[in-house]
Amino acid sequence: MGDLAQLVLKRLGYGLLTLLVVSILIFFAVELLPGDVAEAVLGQGATPETVAAMREQLGLDRPAIIRYVEWLGGAVTGDFGISAVSGDPVMQVIGTRFVNTLFLAAYAAVIAVPFAIVLGIIVALLRNSVFDRVANVATLTSISSPEFFLGYILILFLAVKVPLFPAIASLSGDMSFFQLLERTFLPALTLVLVVTAHMMRMTRASIINLLASPYIEMARLKGVPPWKVIVRHALPNAWAPIINVVALNLAYLITGVVLVEVVFVYPGIGQALVDAVSKRDFPVVQAASLIFAGTFILLNLAADIGAILTNPRLRHPK
Amino acid sequence: MGIFVLGYYGFLIIASVILAYVGWRKWFLMVFALTLVSFVLGIVGGAPALRFVAIFAIVLAVAAMVSFAFKEFLVQIVRPNIAKELRTAPLTASFGMFVIFTYAIGGIFAPLIAPYGQAEVIAGAFAPADSDMLLGADQLGRDVFSRIIYGARNTVGLALIATIGAFVLGALAGLLAAVKGGWFDTFMGRVADVIMSIPSLIFALLMLSILGTSSWVIVVVVAIIYSPRVFRLTRAVAGNIVVMDYIEAAKLRGEGDWYLIRREILPNSTAPLIAEFGLEFCFVFLLIAGLSFLGLGLQPPIADWGSMVRENATLISFGDITPLIPAAAIALLTVSVNFVVDWMLHRSSGLKEN
Repeated sequence: MGDLAQLVLKRLGYGLLTLLVVSILIFFAVELLPGDVAEAVLGQGATPETVAAMREQLGLDRPAIIRYVEWLGGAVTGDFGISAVSGDPVMQVIGTRFVNTLFLAAYAAVIAVPFAIVLGIIVALLRNSVFDRVANVATLTSISSPEFFLGYILILFLAVKVPLFPAIASLSGDMSFFQLLERTFLPALTLVLVVTAHMMRMTRASIINLLASPYIEMARLKGVPPWKVIVRHALPNAWAPIINVVALNLAYLITGVVLVEVVFVYPGIGQALVDAVSKRDFPVVQAASLIFAGTFILLNLAADIGAILTNPRLRHPK
Repeated sequence: MGIFVLGYYGFLIIASVILAYVGWRKWFLMVFALTLVSFVLGIVGGAPALRFVAIFAIVLAVAAMVSFAFKEFLVQIVRPNIAKELRTAPLTASFGMFVIFTYAIGGIFAPLIAPYGQAEVIAGAFAPADSDMLLGADQLGRDVFSRIIYGARNTVGLALIATIGAFVLGALAGLLAAVKGGWFDTFMGRVADVIMSIPSLIFALLMLSILGTSSWVIVVVVAIIYSPRVFRLTRAVAGNIVVMDYIEAAKLRGEGDWYLIRREILPNSTAPLIAEFGLEFCFVFLLIAGLSFLGLGLQPPIADWGSMVRENATLISFGDITPLIPAAAIALLTVSVNFVVDWMLHRSSGLKEN
């Protein structure tokens, strides 16, 4: 087990290092601005006094390195400084929105993951049949459609033509859990469609890959019934690729959420990022980018570690 | 029961009987299954549901016939060795090629095809469709049909340039890394890791909010974001070739790195790279469409499919499908490229999946 722990620790360290480099990238990209944040936010009409006042407020008069260290130190404790436009703490702007986004992503994942894995396995078993062909075309179409296309189609059919669900996913504090589920059903369904297609294709590919291995053929040749081949021989080895597929697609979910939130006017962190980009509110852009990138790296790390932990060859080193 | 419903079931039953008699088992099963499903559908949804199925089937059949004819046409005009490969293409792949061909024609000859200019205001805001304006007018009174045609030039052109940029950057870095090896290889690998560890849309939003949204900035930013994918693939493919004996021989002859890349490695790695180009185009195209949907793409008055969806999105709440057309144009091109790539990957991998 010592080797395994070492391997996992090494991955963790590597993920942390990546996050550090990414934070440097996100922070110093803003330094590429012609002028600085204060000039960019206030625009050309600003008087030198207001620019100087904003510089003072954002602490821009100190060297970038010192500001970076402070920013990172604050970020670790959940303090991302103050918004350049409204002057509120950034955390106040995006804190609850991040929770909303996580809720939406979790809602979509709870539906999509079991659905995609079961369908993926069925399609892999029925490969080259008509069902498989149809599934192939359907998933390719879903992957190829921009999220806003799927979102607006769902609005058109399930909110306008047949008014089953609300088209705009506005939230308020006093809604019951089921009301919440109903309000956010369409954005969640959009995400489900995209992610299911990705996950199904990846599950199908990894199961087919597995079924081509010699020990499966051996099991078949010695007369093991087909369901037993799957349950006894294929599945134990399939967990590693399936966990990998799930984690990678959850990472995808986190970014796909931006467009979906804009389509359904959902009060999430993606919407906040897009608003901040159009207002050139850089502290919020940086904070939201760091949160997105951090989640993305974390899920990719989970995929790696999951693959290590479920790989029998790595668990029992020779 | 109307004439339509009678005709619908009559057609399906006669078709399944004929197919059963001729002995096309697979087709018979499909048509008869459709008949049985239609019984349920007819009871639940009535005539409109059956009409929807009929229209869907007719569209599908027309698409299949066009793709088949287009494939036969291509087989006739290309050289025999390519024609042999082409003959094995499934209908989805030939459909993809047909759509790509159509888009290319639309994009290249946009000013000739479009009845009006892309920025020309010709009617009132949201004017309905008439014989002059096939799809009506947008929020400023510009012809939607003309703007969609111009969009084929602007949006697809931008995506194509960005893809080529990403490809040149990634492939060059990958080939150099494979040939040079050592610290350069490791360093480039790490750079690719870092770029890939930031979600592409987020990275693009960050960079475009800082650098502005001129088309060159979009091209460069998107090319940098998507080059690591190409880098990894090229590095892997070239890495397998670099260890071959003929590379060793060329090195002993005293050939330089550039010669090795150009004359020995590239010709042996084209097949996976072409397929990757198609895939890469899909990613880039969807990213650019997403960015322009968010208002960070080509700036007005240039017609751009993503921003056209956003500008007219309010129409959807009135049940009007106009805003969906540019979105559908994006989806159709992406799915077509994916169909072609799917076939190419299947062919080059030699996977029969049995």
